[in-house]
Formats: sequence, structure tokens, C-alpha cells
Amino acid sequence: MALPLALLAQDIPVTGKVTEQNGAPLPGVTVKLDGTTKAASTDANGVFSIQAPVGGKLTISLIGMATQTVTVPAGGRINVSLAADSKDLTEVVVVGYGTQKKALVTGSISSVKAKDLESMPINRVEQALQGRTSGLTIASGNGQPGSASTVRVRGFTSFASSGNNDPLWVVDGVIVDNGGIGYLNQSDIESIEVLKDAASQAIYGARAANGVIIISTKKGKEGRLSINYNGFYGIQSPAKKLKLLNASEYAAIRNEAYSNSYNAATDGTFTLPYANPSSYGEGTDWQSVVFNDDARRQTHEFSVSGGTNKSTFYTSFGYIDQEGIVATPISNFNRANIRINSTFKPAKWISFGENLGYSHSVNSSLGNTNSEFGGPLSSAIHLDPMTPVIQTDPTAIGKSPYTIANIIRDPATGFPYGISGPVGQEMSNPLAYIQTRLGNYGWDHNIVGNAFLEIEPIQNLKFRSSLGTKLAFYGSESYTPLFWLSPSNTNTKANFYREMNMTLNYNWENTISYSKSFGKHHAYAIFGQGYYMDNNNRGLNVRFNNIIAQDFYQSNLNYKPATADIQGDGSDATLHVVNSLFTRVTYDYDEKYLFTGIIRRDGSSRFGTNNRFGYFPSASIGWVPTKEAFWKENNIVNFLKLRGSYGITGNDAIGDFSYVSLVNSGRNYTFGTTDVSTIGWSPAALSNPDLKWEETHQTDIGLDATLFNDFTLSASYFKKKTIGVLQTPPIPLYLGAAGGAAENVGDMQNTGIEFELGYRKKIGELNLGINANISTLKNKVTKLLPGREFIEDNAQSFQGMGNFTRTAIGRSFNEFYGYEVAGIFQSQAEINAYKGPGGTVLQPAAKPGDIKFANLDGNETINGSDRTYLGSPLPKYTYGITINLAYKNFDFVAFGNGVGGNMIFQGLRRLDVTYGNWQQSILDRWTPTNTSTDIPRVADKDLNGNYTKFSKNYLEKGDYFRLKTLQVGYNLPGDVIKKIGAQKVRVYLMSENLWTITKYTGYDPEIGGTVLGIDRGIYPQARSFMVGLNVGF
Amino acid sequence: MKKNILAIAALLTASQLIVSCQKQLDVNPRERILETSYYQSQQQAFTGLVAVYDQLGNQSSGYLTKLNLFSSASDDHFAGADSPSDLGDMQAMNNYTVNSLSGAPSYLWSKGFTGVYRANVLLKKIEGITMDASTKARYIAEARALRAIFYFDLVRIFKNIPLILVPIEPSGMFDVTQVAPADVYKQIETDLTDALSALPVTIPTADAGRLNQGAVHAVLGKVYLWQEKWGPAAAEFALVNGTAPGASTYGYKLLPNFADLWNWKNKFNSESILELSYNTTSNMGWGNVGSREGNVMGILVGPRNYVPVIASQAPDYVSGWSVMPITKELFDLIHYDPRNKPTVANLDSLEKAGIVTYKHANDNTGYFVEKYAGRVSTKAAVGQLELNFGQNMYEIRLADTYLMEAEALLKSGAAVGAGTRAYIFLNAVRARVGLNPVAVTMDNIMKERRLELVAEGQRWFDLVRWKLAPTKLAFKGFQANKNETLPIPQAELNNTKILQSKEWGGTK
Repeated sequence: MALPLALLAQDIPVTGKVTEQNGAPLPGVTVKLDGTTKAASTDANGVFSIQAPVGGKLTISLIGMATQTVTVPAGGRINVSLAADSKDLTEVVVVGYGTQKKALVTGSISSVKAKDLESMPINRVEQALQGRTSGLTIASGNGQPGSASTVRVRGFTSFASSGNNDPLWVVDGVIVDNGGIGYLNQSDIESIEVLKDAASQAIYGARAANGVIIISTKKGKEGRLSINYNGFYGIQSPAKKLKLLNASEYAAIRNEAYSNSYNAATDGTFTLPYANPSSYGEGTDWQSVVFNDDARRQTHEFSVSGGTNKSTFYTSFGYIDQEGIVATPISNFNRANIRINSTFKPAKWISFGENLGYSHSVNSSLGNTNSEFGGPLSSAIHLDPMTPVIQTDPTAIGKSPYTIANIIRDPATGFPYGISGPVGQEMSNPLAYIQTRLGNYGWDHNIVGNAFLEIEPIQNLKFRSSLGTKLAFYGSESYTPLFWLSPSNTNTKANFYREMNMTLNYNWENTISYSKSFGKHHAYAIFGQGYYMDNNNRGLNVRFNNIIAQDFYQSNLNYKPATADIQGDGSDATLHVVNSLFTRVTYDYDEKYLFTGIIRRDGSSRFGTNNRFGYFPSASIGWVPTKEAFWKENNIVNFLKLRGSYGITGNDAIGDFSYVSLVNSGRNYTFGTTDVSTIGWSPAALSNPDLKWEETHQTDIGLDATLFNDFTLSASYFKKKTIGVLQTPPIPLYLGAAGGAAENVGDMQNTGIEFELGYRKKIGELNLGINANISTLKNKVTKLLPGREFIEDNAQSFQGMGNFTRTAIGRSFNEFYGYEVAGIFQSQAEINAYKGPGGTVLQPAAKPGDIKFANLDGNETINGSDRTYLGSPLPKYTYGITINLAYKNFDFVAFGNGVGGNMIFQGLRRLDVTYGNWQQSILDRWTPTNTSTDIPRVADKDLNGNYTKFSKNYLEKGDYFRLKTLQVGYNLPGDVIKKIGAQKVRVYLMSENLWTITKYTGYDPEIGGTVLGIDRGIYPQARSFMVGLNVGF
Repeated sequence: MKKNILAIAALLTASQLIVSCQKQLDVNPRERILETSYYQSQQQAFTGLVAVYDQLGNQSSGYLTKLNLFSSASDDHFAGADSPSDLGDMQAMNNYTVNSLSGAPSYLWSKGFTGVYRANVLLKKIEGITMDASTKARYIAEARALRAIFYFDLVRIFKNIPLILVPIEPSGMFDVTQVAPADVYKQIETDLTDALSALPVTIPTADAGRLNQGAVHAVLGKVYLWQEKWGPAAAEFALVNGTAPGASTYGYKLLPNFADLWNWKNKFNSESILELSYNTTSNMGWGNVGSREGNVMGILVGPRNYVPVIASQAPDYVSGWSVMPITKELFDLIHYDPRNKPTVANLDSLEKAGIVTYKHANDNTGYFVEKYAGRVSTKAAVGQLELNFGQNMYEIRLADTYLMEAEALLKSGAAVGAGTRAYIFLNAVRARVGLNPVAVTMDNIMKERRLELVAEGQRWFDLVRWKLAPTKLAFKGFQANKNETLPIPQAELNNTKILQSKEWGGTK
């Protein structure tokens, strides 16, 4: 009935301004006169003008903001302030090959938007997801700047080695591998969508089983030119140092360990290592030598965007420079980014454009970030506090080892760096170690992008072709001087090494889509085809031995050594090719009954002709009862959608040519007296021509709701079953083959519940927003090859103790497996009384103070079959919470995340470095006078296996909650910034990793890796304090 | 219309891609060779044979070798190394804490069965290769004899082992069972005996290291000796040793100068019968220890933190890791023997004289292995010098077969007085180092073997063979009826039909 009114009423010019609640103008807002097709949009200053009658209704809308309807007043002046939309179900989410209104999505998809990441100190995109979405388990690989995190979407789906549980990353349609995702600049990200259920993932078919993460970069918007700068600068320091023994304590413990293992009667001599322990005082604090409390970090991001109705562009430049907190001279990272995204629309039926990112990074890595085998941090933990950092004692300098050639000296004083007598192996003075790697670095250039063409010959029929590519160059340069760090850590030939590699991967996708509405029926179909080629890597490297250069900075390949001193090598990878057809159909009736169906067919070069192609279907349905007539509008449930899905996805992430046996060289032998190798070949592995896809079947049931106007709730339950898990299982050694055949060895199941809760409220001038999520995860292996109860693939081991994790039927991926501790022997009588059923003393080598291992199999010995499952390294639940507050010109963000229910292997002290330092907890060891403890006695000879047997004593609870980011910002008042022509000037203070609650005794409870929670002395994450500036024009 | 044409063209391109997709999935394996297309020529057969030989000298990535493990377990050496937990797998052998999860059983088991597998693959594949018949016969003989050598170690070390004579298909890989040790010995004897006729009598220098008839007779003699088949053992050794010292059909002669045996350039000398071969040029580095051809023993046995003080008098040892220090007991026995100097690196006396310093590491006695201690003058030119010593090791040398023949003759009840073969050959070993003749008694033979073969990997096996290990090795924790063998590696029991030996808590 508005139509006649509109016709009758006299249109007047209406002008107005649309702003955000903080007064910032909103460009690109649609202003539509109800009942007509008349519409306008706001310009760069948020100003619009439209012809409308007085009393007419204007609908003012912008994605992400709550739509408002205003009545045209007499005079035609309107000022509107839009609030952020609390029912963000009107949002659009990116799904594979398209977008969908969030209200209509029937799959389980979590999103992170640019707004959530604004000014966050994020160097790598994985960190943007940690704690911000449900269903993900993310753990930092280590604290080395620029290093990748381990990302698991709804648990583990595969047993196989590194990388095979990594999700598929799709950046603007280009598939990028997990390690390669580091090229992305955080502030270029418009949105990140995590496809968690099979119904969403199936469009990516064969590579989707580990989850799909779609990243869209920012595009220019029609309207005014927008210029933005964000930058911060800060200092970082370690959040925690271990409490290690000082020199006196160390000497006393060493003496005790010695006395507990040797005596004059049987060993001939008996001399305590340290005559007078208390005389040594504090000694050297090696941690203070390797840690930097003042490591710098800065980030600068600058972007320009804009556009017309014919073209838009977004271009940005970013720079990150971060020093590591451990051994800073050889641990740092910097990266520069450039991005150019453009779209051109010369006519209504055609558009084309490109999204192109370039990055260049340079990093120095200390080489050993979570390994017990040396490296500065591991050395700092193990080195005895007796050894000085720099040896200045002339008597010591005159003797071995300081008289050995090529020891490293302090460049400032010329004195040699202290060399530990008792602690050897890979451990060495960290400062000397730093000198041997000074200047060495790795580098990369990445160009990742796509070009697309979209034509719409008939309305709603779209053809789109997209060519994506990743071109990467990467390599490293290093100079190794002559050095003698310890007897087993020496170099007798100065050499310079250079490595250069290239990767060229590409994919080409073509899709046709058509959408049509008939009354309240809405249908959409897309059919597509894709070709994907990756792993196209090749590399060359060269080493010049006996180079004349004195250090890295002098080194180059123009210093020609003798021909015999030039070593070169190279490599070619095997291509991985996937060829696909896919289709998706969506249908809804009145946005009330929803349906999506997907089928994808993939062919992979990783399988033999017997099983080369796989089909991956899925279907999902949704129902929005709040749209039903019987559902009365109320203030309790504003919106409710129930959804359910089922689908199958695949995984081909196993090595190339795993289905056949290859013959490998390198099985060489030396004949004759010419001192050279004769080349031998033999089969590398068994073959399995029937190898086929790993399939993951997933059911997902969930709901999305808006409650009490201010709350959004999303909940999902999923059950994900992987059938035919791909693996190259270890084969019995008696077969003699170097490796087994890849096989589909078992089934594994992940189940869990996920909640995402949002709350947004404006209370007076206070804007409050809270987002919280929690996910549970239960991982269980349900089947293995016939006759097998467990496998030890990917099993973790620690020096001589053998494998200590195991994947077994009925249990989760790689649970800890070892000896149960029955207590500490308090007396010889107790040892003698600890017998098997046949009367054999079970631990004859034990002494009082040693661990009493539980005799679980009840026989006459304590051996491998007494071991049991001791817990899982996989968190049972993960959670995150973000609190946003804005009051007048101030804003505040607190973001924290945590995990619980997992165990961590605390392997900070190496078994074979007998004389290494200890954590102070050893002071509570068993002694005849300190008997109520669970820490066994110290002894140089561990005949009972207190430490060489993997027991529960090595495990600790891994629960933590970390206040990840805390930020306080201040927006300069509008009248101030107007003077400089800016739209926005914001200054902020920020802290990262300010506070971590955990009972874990190592540096950091967050430990990534193929099997999570294995701490071999992980490079911890830094605690940082930063100040930042954000300016918009 | 133009736009429709564009759309159609694009669709056609797309369908073209779809049609050709099967072909695109056949990617080039790039230089990787499929097993199904290998083993086509004599040359490829030869590379298969080299792969079998490769396992003879195999060293683990953790520096384990048969030699250093069993030397650590013997009364001639300690494991040594930096501390009681450094190189833990050797320490476990030294102090008899070895168990089924330790590194030593797993390494030795894998070393042997890998050799067996490579031999089996070659034996299977070579049938189909068109090549010179006598060369084919020789390759087959070598593969079978090498397989026998691997099985001889496996059955001695583990006793209860499966006997695998063809490559096992994946379908049957968990169904393998163990056989009686006697069956293994029978197969070893068959393989060795069958191999003889196709092998050359002598080997030209360029091929040195490959098996000839002499080496196979020596191994067979040892196999008989181990089974206490004294007569057949003596007969085999007689073939090797010849009618008189120096008169061997195979050209074997004792070197006149004992010390020359340990000059690394003196490879495949006239005393060498079966030699494990290494080189200095394979460029082994820390990342690929064991997978290349350098000998790690050179750095292992060297004194730790070794520093010459008086350079003109100090030997040019490379500072090493103090592995396998010689026990005081052995040192006292060999101290005044002419073989002392080429055998023992006496760091104790060098240090007391102020000539050198070194670190007194774990179980230090001051006496190290001289026979193959790494020296600055023998270090490699490329790669990590620590890992690329080129010195070969004797698996069997003539002095050993002389002494074994004397022992077999004595045990068989043959006459052993002056002028008999036993007497002549025992005393030929002594005469070479200038010692007077002694009577042929078990005590004299045992003492001679010990002093002659220090650090050559024989002592522990001799003690077990002579059933003296429980007494001689009691001080290290050797338990009778248990430590004569090693436990079967735990991983072999998982999901298979392999059973642990009774001695190690199992049922086999």
C-alpha cells in the first residue's frame, strides 16, 4: 500500500550522514526508499542524497551493521548512527567457490573477521585462529620468530608423518601448504573461514579431511580513497626462566650422585668431583647468557584502497622485524610484504582482476628449537654453573682444553669462552656457539596470487575461470668457521654454503554457476573443474671447503678453493597432481528450509591405477523455526536455525609413489685400495598397488541462534570417522627392507562438542562485546590392521629409552606409554621383598631411593611388557575468550586462550649428559633423610633405570590458560584529528603473553609438533610490551 | 553474442582438461627407479650385490658397530665414553643392563636381516637377468655366502631367529616364525659349501674385499668350530692355512711386522682373509652417520680432549671420545708382550711424562686402543674428519685361523706335540712377534688369541664359546644362561609371531 503513497507524495531532496557510533563516517552504506527501487549510497564522508517524500521510509543498511529504518522528516535532513550488528547472522561467509549468507549456511563454519584482528600482534595467520574459533587445536611450534604453529581441525585424522594432519589452506582460491602460509600479512586479511564439517569441506574433496581454512584478502571498496597505517613497536622478554641449581648446589648434588655410584672398595679410586661444594657460590647463570630481556619487535602496515563502479583496488605494504629472545644474534626474523588486489568491471557482464601477494623474509634460526641435541637453550639448561662464561684464569688458559686450536674467543676481550669440563656431547658455551653461526641466514621470496575472469552472459549464469600460482624462491647461506666447542662438536674446515631452491605450483579452476528464484524458492548450482599441481620443487647447493674468508660477511663464492674442496649437490621433488570435478547445489524455501548437496571427484597422482579416483559426496539440511508462522516473535529466541550434515572427505597426504617399491642408491661399499665407494642399489620399500584414499566420514549436528537480542550462540556436535588411515607402518626388522609399503591401516574417530557464544551490548556510552568459545575433543583409534593392537608410527623417543608413545585401538593418537611408578624404595629390605609370584627379586639392581616400577604383567621380571598407557598429549578441551570494551574514546581488548586435559613430556634434561645441571626440584630428591618424595635418588650410574626407563615421572599436566593479548587504545577526538585531515587516529598499548596460568614446570606449556606436548627444551614464546599507532585517512 | 562465444570457448577448454586428466596423473617419478623396472642388466645385478656387501661394514647412526658393542661387553674393554650414560647402548652392553628395548639388539638384528634381505632380493631377481653365466654364478655364490655370514652372526647373537630365504611379500609379513638354531646352522653350511665352486681362488686388487674361496673356507671353519665340530673345522682351516705357514693356496702369509697390520694404507694385505672395508672419501657428516663409508671407530677410540704438550714427542692422535678403554687386567697381561705398543695407546704414561694431556672420562684406565686410533696424519680430506677414517677392520685374518686350527686340532684329539700342525701354527703366530714356542694347551691358545686379537671383536665371542663368560665377565654383571645371547628386540615381538627367548623372560 506504500506504492500509491509514494506516487502521490511529493519527493524532496533528502541528504544525510551515516556514521559509526564513535562518529567515524561510514562510506558505502546503502540507503533505499522502501517500496521503490530508488537507492543511493554514502560517499567517502558518509554523506548520501536521495529523492524521497516526507514520511517515506528509508532503509539504511551495511553488512556487519544493524539495519535501521528512518522516516524522512520535513526538511529532509537525516543523521544516522549505525551500531554493529549483534545478530551477525546477516553476515556473509565464504564457502568453497563462493559465499553464502550466514543465516543460510547449513555446515559448520567458524569465521574470524578483519575487525577481530585489528592491531593484534600477529605475525603468522595461525595465531589469528588460536582461541578465536572453536574446533581447532593450535600450538606454537616454538618461539623462534616467524615459526609455524601446529594446527589441527577437529582432531587428528591420520597417523602418518609430518604434515599429514595439517589443514588445507586456500588463500583467494590458491592452495598454499601449511608451512608456506607464513607469507601472508595479517592486516591484509579480510576474513578467515574454517570449514569444519564434511558438508562444508567436501567441495575440496580429496584434500579436505584435515579441515579447510579459507582466507580472503581485502578488496578495495567503491567510494572514497582509504589510507591506513598501523604500526607498533615493543620489547620482548622471556616470560619464565627455569630455576636451575647454582654452583654450590650443583657441586653437592654431583658429589652425592658420584658417591651413590662408586666406592673405593670396588672401583679402586674414589675422589669426590668437588671437594668443597659450598665454596663455589652462585656460579654462572647460563640462562641469563642466552636469554634476551630486551628483544625488539616492530610491525608497520600501510594500505591504500578505493575504487569506482568500474574498478577497485587494495594495495598494501607491510614490514615485520622481530628479534628472538633466545640467542638473539642468531635468532631473528624480518619480512616485507606487498599486496595488490584489483577488480575491473568494464561492463555489466564481465569482470576480471587479480589478488597478488609478494613477500620476502629473512631469518636467522638458532637451529635447534625443540631438541635435546644441543642448541643454546639446551646448553643453558645442561651446562654446569662452574664453567665461567669467559675464561680469564691464566692457569686454566694454559691447559687443555683451552690450548686446543680453534677454540672460540670473545671478540671483545680475546679471552676464550669458557669450556665445560663435565658437560660435553652437543652442549657447548652458547656464546661460543653463537660465534660459529653469526650472520648465517635463510631467505625466501614468495609470490602467491591468482588472476580471475568472470562473465555473466545471461543474468545469474556466471562463468568464472581462475588461475592461481605460487612461485617461491628460497635458500640459505652460512659460513662455518674453524671451531672446537667440545670434543664431539668441532669443525676443522672453514666452509661457506649456499643453497637456492625454486617452487612453481599452480592450479586452474573453472566454474559455471546459476542461481534462480521462483517465488519463495531459491536455488543455486555450481559445477566446476580444477587442475592442481604442486611440490614442483628443485634446488641446488654448493659448499666451498677451506675457504679463505674469516667470517660470514667476508664469504662469497669468488673465493675459489681447490677443486676438490668444492662440493655441489641438488634435488628434484616429485610432482603431486590432482584433477577434480565438483558440483554444489543449494536450495532454500523462504530461507526457512535449507539444503546443500556437494559431490567432488578427485584423481591423485599419489595412487596407482587401481584406486586413482575417489568420490566425495555430502549433504546438509537446515531449518529455521523462527521463520515459521507458529513461532511468535519474542525477545527470548530471536533467531534459531537447526542444521545437520553428513559427508565424506578424503586425504591423499602420503608420499609420492608409495604404492610401488622404488630402488634406492646409497647402499655402497668400498672395494680395492682406491679409497672410493662403489655404488650399490637395493629396494627402498615394499609395494602396495591397492593403496587408496583415506576417507573421513563426518556427521555434524548444530544450531545457530540469536537470544535475548544480544546473544549469539552457535553449537555443534560432530562425529568424524576416518576409514583406511594412510600410513607407512613400521614393518618387522626381520623383513630387512628399509621401509614398509604405505597402507590403509586403520580407522580413527574424533568426536566433540563446540560452543561459540557472543554477547554485544551498548550500556550508555559503554560498548561491551564478549566472544567465548569452547570445544571438546575425543580422539580414538577404532581399528588397526588385523592382529595389531597398536602401532608405533610417529612414536616419540628420547635417547636410549626407546619409543614412549604408542597409538592403540581404543585409545587416542600417540598416547604416552611407559612404566607405572609404584613408589620409591625406602630400604634394601623393601627391594628384597619386592618379588614376582615365583619369588624372584624383581629389581635386584635397585638401591634405596630408586623407583619401584609396577609389575603390571605379574611375572618374574620388570620388562617392556610391564608398560601401560599413561595419558594423552592431546588436549581434551580448548577454549578462548575475547572481551571488547569501548567507552567514549577509549577501547580495551583482552584475549585469552587455554587448553586442558593433556599431559606433557618434560624432557628438559638429557639422560646421557650425566653431569648436566638440574632443575631445583632435584633438591627434593630421595635421600636417607628425605624419604617422602617421589623424586628418586641421584646417581651417576642409573642401573635401576630411574631415568632411562620412561615412567610416569616424566609426565606433567599440560593445562594452561594464557592471557594472550591485552590492549588499551585511545581514539583522538574528532575535532583534533580533523585538523590533520585524518578520519581516525588511535594510539594503543598492548601486551602479549602477559600472564600464563599453568602447573607445568618447563618454559612453556604450549608445544606443537607431530605429536603435541613433547618438550625437549622448547624455545618459549616471548612476553612482550608494545606501543602502537593506527591512523586512517 | 560475443559473450556467449567466450563462455563456450571456456567450456570447451575446460572439457578438454577433463578428458586428458588420467594422463596428467601419470607423473614422472624423476630419477626415482621403480623396483619393477630395475634388475635388467649385469651392471644392475652388480649394484644389487654391492648393496649386500654394504651391510658387512654397516654402522648405526648412533655409532654402534658389532665390534664396539661386543668389545664393551668383554673383559678387555669398558664402554668408556664421556660419562656413564654417554653412548648408552654401549654402556648397557658393558654393564649388562641391556634389554629388549636397548639399541644394541635392535641394531644387530636389523643389520643382519637387512643383509639377508638384500641377498634374497638379488638371488630372486638375478634369475631373470640375461648375463654372462659364470658371472651370474659368482654373484649368486657371493650373495649366498654373505647371507650365511649374516645368519652366522644372527644365530650366535640371538639364537632363536627366523630363517628367511626369499623376500617376503607384504601379505605374509607378520606370519614369520622362528626355527631351531640347528636348522639355521644347516642352511649356513649349505650356503657356504654351495658357494665355493663358483668363487675365484684369489681376487685382483681392484676387487679386493669381495669373497674368494679362502674366505668362505675360513668362515665355514669358524661355523664348525662354533658348533664344536672339531674335525671339519680343522679341515677347513687347513685349507685356508696351507700345508705350512706361508704356503696357502690362497696366498695368505703372516705379515713379518705385526705393526704393519694397523697401517691403514695396508689394506687387503696377505694376512687379510675377510676384511670390512671403509674409505675416506664418502663425505659422511653428522646428519648421515652410518649411511656412508667412513669408519667411525677412529674417532670413537681416541682419547678425549687430547692435547699434545710436547709436540715433538706426542703421537698425533685425533682428540676422540674415549670409547673402549682397555682394562687394567688386559694391560697388565700385554704390557711386556711385543704386541703391546701396536695394540695399546698408553695415555697414562704419556700424561705422566708430561707429554700430553687428555680428559679422564668414564671408566678411564689410561689405556686406549692403538690399533685403529684416529690420527691427524690419517684423517680424511673431505667431510667431517671425525667420521671418515678409512681404516679397514679384520673380520678374519690369518693369525686368527692359525689359532683356530690349533684349537680345533687340540679339541679333536689330534696330536699336538712339537712338529704337529697345531704346534707349528700356534707358534708361527708367536714367532712373528719374536716369542718362543709354547706347548699346545687350551690355556696357551686362549692367552695367545687374547693378546693377538685385542680390540678385533673376538674376545667376547671366544669367552662365550669357551663357556668362560660367566666367570670372566661376572664383574660386569654377566649372568650365566642369559647373557650368552641378546634379547630379541621388543619391536619384533609386537604384532608378530616372533617369541622372546626363554633366557629373556619369553617362551622360546
